[in-house]
Amino acid sequence: MKRFRIYVDLDKEEKWLNEMANKGWKFHGKCINYEFREYSPDNAAYIKIDYRSFKSYDDLENYIALFKDSGWEHIAGTKTSGKQYFKRIEETAGDDIFSDISSKAERYKKMSNMWLSLAVCYIPIFTALVLTKAISINALLDPKLLYYTPGLWQKTGEAFWRAFLFETPFAIMRGYIWLLFPCLIILYFVFAVKAQKYYQKANPKNLI
Amino acid sequence: MNRDKNLPLTETVYYILLALLEPAHGYLIMQKVEALSDGAVRIAAGTLYGAIENLLKLKFIQPVGSDDGRRKVYHITEEGKKVVMLDFERMKHMIDVTSNKFK
Repeated sequence: MKRFRIYVDLDKEEKWLNEMANKGWKFHGKCINYEFREYSPDNAAYIKIDYRSFKSYDDLENYIALFKDSGWEHIAGTKTSGKQYFKRIEETAGDDIFSDISSKAERYKKMSNMWLSLAVCYIPIFTALVLTKAISINALLDPKLLYYTPGLWQKTGEAFWRAFLFETPFAIMRGYIWLLFPCLIILYFVFAVKAQKYYQKANPKNLI
Repeated sequence: MNRDKNLPLTETVYYILLALLEPAHGYLIMQKVEALSDGAVRIAAGTLYGAIENLLKLKFIQPVGSDDGRRKVYHITEEGKKVVMLDFERMKHMIDVTSNKFK
């Protein structure tokens, strides 16, 4: 089974994954979607999430080995995925993969920086589109400009509708696909701000 | 005189540096810290990994060659020893003034 979700709140995400395991859905990987396999319900499932990216596979291996030694099995996450998922495999492992508040809060700081850099990456692309006049503001106000079929607006009846509906998907791509960039930029900024808020909430030291 | 900006060290970092007076890999650091602190300080994996990264950045510890391919081994640097001693002096001073005050 696959599920698509975006979580900024790691506590909520951990809770959701544990609930899925209780229902018999074992989380085994993530690639855009969360992927689950059906299993017998696991009430003892205990999943924790770290947020970290690595420079090399050696670093990732070393990181996974450290968790494994201390009773946590790495179940999902790649070198650059950010989120790293761990499942407790030994009772002696303790309740959490963090033993102080600041290192636990640090995850949100890293996440915020990641979303922020993604948002910033898209700005030059968007600016280039505006500067090269690839984006037409007029078309937003007058969508008729997006239809290139000669004499389209003079046609009537079935002939009109056929030509109109045929061209509409192209017109939308021509006229509005660029809206994806500002939307993504805004979305990424929202995530960055949200993660930053969680960081401040999780790390009381920063409120003083 | 300006004090070293890394002082005071956190309890976790202080014990990690003490543990790394001899080369050790991550899990061994955890065990050593627990033993050194009489079981009072138990560092979890995520916290330890973050601390190691910070200490590497500050050059207080360095990676050394190891036989175990997956597990990296770390060792304290001269810089790291210096900062432990500075923090030790700081704490010693606190202990001295405190015992004088309570005499």
